[in-house]
Amino acid sequence: MRRHPKGGRFYYKYKREKGTNLKSPQNVEVYIVDDSCILKWSGSDEFVSNVTFSVDYQIPEIDDWIKLPGCQYVTSTQCDFSSLQLNVYDEVKLRVRAEKGNDTSPWYEVDSFIPFQKAQIGPPEVHLEAEDRAVILNISPPGTQDSVMWAMDSSSFTYSLVIWKNSSSGEKRTETVYPRDKIYKLSPETTYCLKVRARLRVQRKVGLYSPVSCINTTVENKLPPPENIQIDSNNWNYIIKWDYKYENMTFQAQWLYGYLKKFPGKHEDKWKQLPDCENVKTTQCVFPRSTFSRGIYFVRVQASNGNNTSLWSEEKRFDTEIQTIILPPLINLKSVNGSLRVYIGAPKESENKSVDQPYRLTYEINFWENTSDTQSKILQKKTDFTFLNLKPLTVYCVKARALILEEKWNKSSDFSDTVCEKTKPGNTSRTLLIAGICIALLILAAVVYVVRVLWRCINYVFFPSSKPPSAVDEYFSEHLLKNLLLSTSAEQIERCFVIENTNTVSAAEETNHAGEDYKKYGSQTSQDSGNYSNEDENSGSGLSEEVLLQGAV
Amino acid sequence: MTYRWILPMALLLCFSTTALSVNYDLLWSQLRSSNSACQKLLWQLNGAPQRCPEDTMNFQFPEEIEQAQQFQKEDAALVFYEMLQHTLRIFRRNFASTGWNETIVKNLLVEVHLQMDHLETNLKGIMEEESSTRGNTTILRLKKYYGSISQYLKAKKYSHCAWTVVQAEMLRNLAFLNGLIDYLQD
Repeated sequence: MRRHPKGGRFYYKYKREKGTNLKSPQNVEVYIVDDSCILKWSGSDEFVSNVTFSVDYQIPEIDDWIKLPGCQYVTSTQCDFSSLQLNVYDEVKLRVRAEKGNDTSPWYEVDSFIPFQKAQIGPPEVHLEAEDRAVILNISPPGTQDSVMWAMDSSSFTYSLVIWKNSSSGEKRTETVYPRDKIYKLSPETTYCLKVRARLRVQRKVGLYSPVSCINTTVENKLPPPENIQIDSNNWNYIIKWDYKYENMTFQAQWLYGYLKKFPGKHEDKWKQLPDCENVKTTQCVFPRSTFSRGIYFVRVQASNGNNTSLWSEEKRFDTEIQTIILPPLINLKSVNGSLRVYIGAPKESENKSVDQPYRLTYEINFWENTSDTQSKILQKKTDFTFLNLKPLTVYCVKARALILEEKWNKSSDFSDTVCEKTKPGNTSRTLLIAGICIALLILAAVVYVVRVLWRCINYVFFPSSKPPSAVDEYFSEHLLKNLLLSTSAEQIERCFVIENTNTVSAAEETNHAGEDYKKYGSQTSQDSGNYSNEDENSGSGLSEEVLLQGAV
Repeated sequence: MTYRWILPMALLLCFSTTALSVNYDLLWSQLRSSNSACQKLLWQLNGAPQRCPEDTMNFQFPEEIEQAQQFQKEDAALVFYEMLQHTLRIFRRNFASTGWNETIVKNLLVEVHLQMDHLETNLKGIMEEESSTRGNTTILRLKKYYGSISQYLKAKKYSHCAWTVVQAEMLRNLAFLNGLIDYLQD
């Protein structure tokens, strides 16, 4: 830039610089719909002309960038790389740059992607065929028949359809349909319009809607198709029942393998006759279980009266597993403390042992007190559970039935026999009882002990024992005791007689008191004499005897 | 052209299909019933050994299926569903030229379809989840794997020897799937 002074005004000249002035393409996006893979971008500068673009690609096995054929030095701002025949499940990288003459912009690298993941599901192709009250659908999957993108998924698509009456009040109805299916419950001679789109559920891809197609339903058919098809079974047979307006009709039933419905294309020739249901006169037919191996089938019925035949009824889905009969379970009750334990056992085996029920059964259990009428219902999946917090010593009753609560069907067995059981005394009251008894015993023992101690004390204080120790008792006899007792009293003064003369005798008596000493002496003398005579004998005892004898005189 | 490869395929399917239930406590009973169905098919199958050139093809079975531990049960279920789908698709065609009893083959297809139906019911919730990253990589690899098998059979014009190669491939897969089922049963 140079300043060009010219009378105060300045002019600036910009000189174009040579080199990498070219910017990379902008807004580069990958668009994939079915098998059509397109890379789109916009040029950096809209006013610049003579710019071309080139695209390269790279796949995992090869490290180098490869020139994308048909997209080298192109003037358009998009490139179709569908013809590359890439593996749609492999990662691919793309890069694009702008060129002008010898100039090249830097490469713009698109983040690596997996075509299948980026792909959008295109619109399916729809063919319609009209009946009086139904429209037959024939849906071709998105993409071409030899589509590479959806080669592995042709049978995986699910289709959702929107249908409405062409009239102003067109209420729309949405349904999930098979590739070959029928829309029922339509009115005759009415124009209906619909559109369909495909889905891949696992990949969570939702496709684009097909263009709207319209069709007129036909005039009402003379003979309506049979309605309300029901399939029941017992241990040996399946029974199809249906309703029909008119009398004196002949019916026939056909069946189809369920898996065929998943595949597009015609199955009309694949329906097979049900042998036991050809030309039946009643609105039901019975065929043996052995006709079908385990699986899913479709069944349809048609009426005829010789001249005319009706259209086919609605195709009824028939799952042999659903048709198995559930037998009522066996219940076993056990009273445990203050609760009731319930065991739900397998039902008794039926005659036909080939009935196999690998389903998850839910049990509906009715539970009530024998004396009351109110029943409580619970649903349980476990086969061994307990009712807690029940009243003790009360009779409770239980009955149960097995249910299958799966998405597509709702089947239940009959109720089992009612089983009743009395609850035992409660856990807490029993422990209290035991505890009470123990405590009572302890208290009793304590009381007895205390009473014994008190009694001893009382005895000791108020009623002391007068018995000498036993050793002493042995040693001394009763007599000795008495002697000891009496000897104390024997210390009294004895009357003594001094025999010297008669005078002195009287004198002695008179001077009794004065001559105490003398008497004593006298007694002593006599005593002595007594002693001499008794000396040979036991002195102690003899002495005492002598004394006693003398005193007595 | 015999149809010997149906046997291991049947085994493969029957073991695999029975493993799949969101309510995994059903697993044992489904496994049992599927086993008996497979045994029945087994007994009905009899093939004469034929001589074929020893072709070893690597169809690139996704190795992560060998390592069952990394799978959550829902992811494993989706993988099994995918495998069922492809097996149904491959089985359905091109047995007109075999001398094989069509009824047996159809009964097998019916059994496969039944298991798919169970899965669809059980996996409905999972399939409609907003977060879409479940098992995507493995499923893409499975599509690629079955695609290469289909292309191989087509290229070999469904010859007997091509079926023999495919049969050997399925036998190998069966071993992997058994491991997966054992894991799921825990």
